Amino acid sequence: MTLRKISPGVWFILPTMLLLVGLIVYPMISTVELSVTDPAGTFVGLRNFNVVISAPSTKLILFNTLFYVVGSVIFQLILGILAGILLNQTFFGRALFRSLMLIPWVIPGIVAAMTWAWMFHTDYGVINFLLMQLGIISGPVGWLTNPNTVMPALVAVNAWKMFPFVAVMVLAGLQSVPEELYEAARVDGAEFRHEIWHVMLPQLRPVLFSVTLLLVIWALDGITIIYSMTGGGPANRSMIFPIQIYVQAFEYFEFNRAAALSVLYFVIISAVIAAYMRVFSLDRRD
Amino acid sequence: MKAQRRGWIFVPLAILLLVAVFPFFWMAISSFKPLGQLYSIPPQWLPNPPTMRNFEEVMFRSNIPRYFINSTIISLGSTLLALVFAIFAAYGFARFNFRGKSAALAFVLIGQLLPTATVIVPLYLVLSYFNLINTYLGLILVYLILTLPLSVWMLTGYFRSIPSELEEAAIIDGASRLGVLFRISLPLILPGIVAVMLYSFVATWNEFVFALSFATDRTMKTLPIGLAEFSTEFDIDWGAVMAASLLMTLPIAIIFLVLQKLFVGGLMSGATKG
Repeated sequence: MTLRKISPGVWFILPTMLLLVGLIVYPMISTVELSVTDPAGTFVGLRNFNVVISAPSTKLILFNTLFYVVGSVIFQLILGILAGILLNQTFFGRALFRSLMLIPWVIPGIVAAMTWAWMFHTDYGVINFLLMQLGIISGPVGWLTNPNTVMPALVAVNAWKMFPFVAVMVLAGLQSVPEELYEAARVDGAEFRHEIWHVMLPQLRPVLFSVTLLLVIWALDGITIIYSMTGGGPANRSMIFPIQIYVQAFEYFEFNRAAALSVLYFVIISAVIAAYMRVFSLDRRD
Repeated sequence: MKAQRRGWIFVPLAILLLVAVFPFFWMAISSFKPLGQLYSIPPQWLPNPPTMRNFEEVMFRSNIPRYFINSTIISLGSTLLALVFAIFAAYGFARFNFRGKSAALAFVLIGQLLPTATVIVPLYLVLSYFNLINTYLGLILVYLILTLPLSVWMLTGYFRSIPSELEEAAIIDGASRLGVLFRISLPLILPGIVAVMLYSFVATWNEFVFALSFATDRTMKTLPIGLAEFSTEFDIDWGAVMAASLLMTLPIAIIFLVLQKLFVGGLMSGATKG
């Protein structure tokens, strides 16, 4: 095949594709290789995997990761759908409301983390103060240091951070719902809540499908908030998989074990995504 | 008709709005409080009188200004580099048909979704092999993982939205492909270019994990790492942390408030037309 026969389109995309192969494909292959060797480069089979899987903290880390992802996504969806539907209504000051509602999503993750860490402060935090004023708690709670509250607190931060993204997507999805559907529903005597349930939500399904997938992937990659607020503590009670990879690699310098964890994590994520796609497409057929 | 029957929606809206903006206001308020008012029970709502001490602390007695410069250089570098590559790639995807095109596009999309934590180990090894740990270039290159796939994806959508008749007319008049791209198509998608640049800038400005792993030297750290470090010192100066947070948010907030419509529009067209 001569060069002339290659479509010019290939030449346009080639530099980018080569870069992405170097930045994504090569590191992934290299991770697999590292995961089955020792620091000297000798093949050791699945030993690294055995070590990381049998580590006593692994179960807790898996549970935390699951808790963080499921908890975050559920609250992001509920808050985001609610906000999206409300912001789609006609009311005075709508543009301003829409802009302000974006603030959590717009501010940097690390800034959100620091701000919430300050608000969660045991002695001087505004959250403890407000909850005590309202009589919901009787004494200060160490939100980020108490093993039982640390994960819910982090989920709350992540839910707060990303719900505007859901709201924006829902808002965009609602723009394309034909007015006739609402009119038809109203002729049948539908109330607002019926419109939400029978008109908006069904129409939003394709949007929510991709939004949920993105939220899951982002939560699975959610290092910033947890690492900067708790570092995975207290005693691993908020340690999640991606932070554990970082810790193994750059605090313990166990690159091969970190690689094994990476491969494991990648397989888990792929399985979750594949299962999600499958369930959804089965769902859509009926 | 909608408006009159839905006066009640101001109640849930007000609650949601309060939840959304309160932390931001609390951060801003805290950054102007003197120490005594930060650590007071019950908390003082408004600083009285407001002080600039926290900002002075950040500006003159911390490494934050240096981190600010580092972040700016790295974000701009990666944004521009991604843009150059993405313009060509997106044009190729939008205007030509060739074997493997859909596979290549799918690969770009998957690249966007790759969990960053799973590649930090090999990337670290590659960067150290080329002596790029603790360099601007190292982070700029690595950040292409964040900026390049989405830039390609979004720009492809924009190029597709231009009718190809415009280009065909120019080609009949003797223009070259590249001439068409730069003289006709590119000016038409200028809003898209701006949206892509904003997205890339924000994504790299906020990035945490790569910066944490590949820029460990005091002179090379970026703002997010500097901020996290600020708060893990044994004696946390929360006023200074909040002031630094506010400073870090400002460029992003300005970008978004001024160009919000454009940004959301860009994200949408990339997502739906791509």
